[in-house]
Amino acid sequence: MIDWSETLNNALSLLAYDPKSPMLFSSGLFWAIFLVFMPIYASLKGSRPKMVLFMIFFSLYFYYKSSGFYLFLLVATSFIDWWIALKIAKSESLTVKKWLVALSVTLSLSVLAYFKYANFFLMNWDAIIGANFQPLDIILPIGISYYTFRSISYVVDVYRGKTAPVKYWLEYLFFLSFFPALVAGPIVRACDFMPQLRKEPKISANEVYGGLWLIIIGVIKKAIIADYICQYNNLVFDTPTGYNGFETLMGVLGYTAQIYCDFSGYSDMAIGLALIMGFKLLPNFDFPYRSTSLTEFWRRWHISLSTWLRDYLYIPLGGNRKGTLRTYLNNFLTMLLGGLWHGAAWKFVFWGAMHGAGLAVNKAFRPYTSRFDGKKWFTALSWLLTMITVAFLWIFFRADSWDASWAVVGNILTNFSIDYLPPFVKVRYMWVIMMIIIIVTHSLPRSFYDRLADKFIDSSWLLKLVIFIIVVQTVVTFAGEDVPPFIYFQF
Amino acid sequence: MKSYSRLWLLLAISFILFFVYSMCGPISVCGFEIRTNKLSQSIIAQVDTNLIKVRDDIPEKVVPKFPVPVDTAKKIILFVGDSMLDGLYPRLAAYAKENGHEMYAVIWYSSSTERWGKKHRLTEYINSLNPNYIFVCLGSNELIVKDIKEKRTKYVKSILAEIDTIPFVWIGPPNWKEDTGINEMLAENLPEGTFFVSNGMKFDRKKDGAHPTRESAAKWMDSVVRWMPEHCLHPIVLNKPEADKARAKRVFVHQPGEE
Repeated sequence: MIDWSETLNNALSLLAYDPKSPMLFSSGLFWAIFLVFMPIYASLKGSRPKMVLFMIFFSLYFYYKSSGFYLFLLVATSFIDWWIALKIAKSESLTVKKWLVALSVTLSLSVLAYFKYANFFLMNWDAIIGANFQPLDIILPIGISYYTFRSISYVVDVYRGKTAPVKYWLEYLFFLSFFPALVAGPIVRACDFMPQLRKEPKISANEVYGGLWLIIIGVIKKAIIADYICQYNNLVFDTPTGYNGFETLMGVLGYTAQIYCDFSGYSDMAIGLALIMGFKLLPNFDFPYRSTSLTEFWRRWHISLSTWLRDYLYIPLGGNRKGTLRTYLNNFLTMLLGGLWHGAAWKFVFWGAMHGAGLAVNKAFRPYTSRFDGKKWFTALSWLLTMITVAFLWIFFRADSWDASWAVVGNILTNFSIDYLPPFVKVRYMWVIMMIIIIVTHSLPRSFYDRLADKFIDSSWLLKLVIFIIVVQTVVTFAGEDVPPFIYFQF
Repeated sequence: MKSYSRLWLLLAISFILFFVYSMCGPISVCGFEIRTNKLSQSIIAQVDTNLIKVRDDIPEKVVPKFPVPVDTAKKIILFVGDSMLDGLYPRLAAYAKENGHEMYAVIWYSSSTERWGKKHRLTEYINSLNPNYIFVCLGSNELIVKDIKEKRTKYVKSILAEIDTIPFVWIGPPNWKEDTGINEMLAENLPEGTFFVSNGMKFDRKKDGAHPTRESAAKWMDSVVRWMPEHCLHPIVLNKPEADKARAKRVFVHQPGEE
């Protein structure tokens, strides 16, 4: 017998703020809420002011669900940066403009630094001077790194004259709080987004079903593949010494695949949702594990972040305009700070620094290796070296501590035997199948996916329904009891 | 607008389908069980799900009449079962570490007495790890199996045959709804002093409404350990550890569909 009063309480508690339970695009809760959202959005999209207000309301609720009243921080950030950008555009004096940009960037970075890095610096300072500081009771608002970067890029772009200032604050709040990209990117630029808002959204079957296709692909990547293979990967990283070298190596390769499927899956869902609403977000991943150099890897991995770092950090630092050594140093510093952006821990700093060093080495060797370009053996060797470097550095990114990272490395180097392959395949055959699927699908040409997307869009409604149901049931079948959050939520 | 309506219809129909399916028990097609999701469970509350009464129909024989001397030898502990182990084993591993035992965990997600009884996976682990103490936690995925005594008794007996003479404790399922007889069937088939009845305990549950939270599962494991000296057929040394949790020497994981 159903207890209706308790059922109502359950429903309300599901909708209430819960920092441990952010609203995932692949969750049943989001699905249910989106069913309510869609018809309202569709009925309002012809009237821009109403649509903007409704979207802001929905996005702020979406943010409130995971971050509570930190949503006021988001609202305040949007107001301050919108106001400063207007002042920059109106000001005739270059000095005033510069000061205003500095003020905005300082404010934004100070807030980010407080929430994300205060305890990190405090504890490191504590370790240096031997005091007895206690960590501050700070909860990191989800997505703060993303919307801070979006806001900084807007103010800087207005200063540089690359984008016109947004006339109305609510429109800027719409951009900054746009829920598909709010909590884990992509880091959308105002210059790409705002022109779309000023036009009436064009929503045809291509957008609606193209968006649904991307959501399905994202769900497959995140909720089926990443969430499944993570169960084994987590075991290895939790207890590296409990596994032999072969199993540990598989765990590392598994995490390499997992983080890609997890994050790119999330990005696909975000881009798909935006597309359904008539907004085109730029791709965030472009088959990164096909890269034959670290430079290429960073052109294909988390594209919105790497281009942001290039445009707002690397180039202002001097880019490649100040000599060879300075170029290497700029690369290194950019990646080091990029690493720190991922989290307040030395492991992220190390990870970023090593990528920066790798980029510098890559650039330094380029003049000597360019004569081999196009040769198959060289391409294969370059790919292998790139993959080894990327996978190796993921160990430090994933492991809980410095010691745990080296335990993983040590285990692979000293306790490895290929004899474990047959029993491993026998026992963990589903994990192996998943990995093979990832490798094969990652190797297929982009044109294949474009054709597949076109076929899906052109297919009958009934077939789409069947595909959707099969995908959801597959998610249910493979789901662990605890659905892991998106890895990139934490950043 | 037409595309929008059709997309909405697609999402709504599939949502209703999964919601309704989640309210029913899982369906078997050609021997394969189609898993249900947790859509309805997180919203719809059944009467008394938050306060499960202690059953009074469990035979008394599960509680021995007097305490048995504690076995003070160091043990190789094998802990096997379903997803409930996720919460239980880190706490038992802390006990094992504190008291010098060696502990292995085998988690077979969505498993049941039927799966373990049919596949004889326990024998494989007993042969490879040579445990001299076993903890089992099974039954959570069989709370609503109809005619459970007829269907599952043989598998429980099969598991007991695999355990053979190794001392063991079977931790019963942490009911979140009235069962159809799993606890009664286990109580009838397990030897005196080997069955810890979890039914009736109060748990803080995860969002799925079934699995105890990490903290609650740790307290659950504490309860099992507290129960052992007075009521268990073969108590071992399990002094309370300082650490909340520890790592098992090794954890083996099997997915729902694994053969």
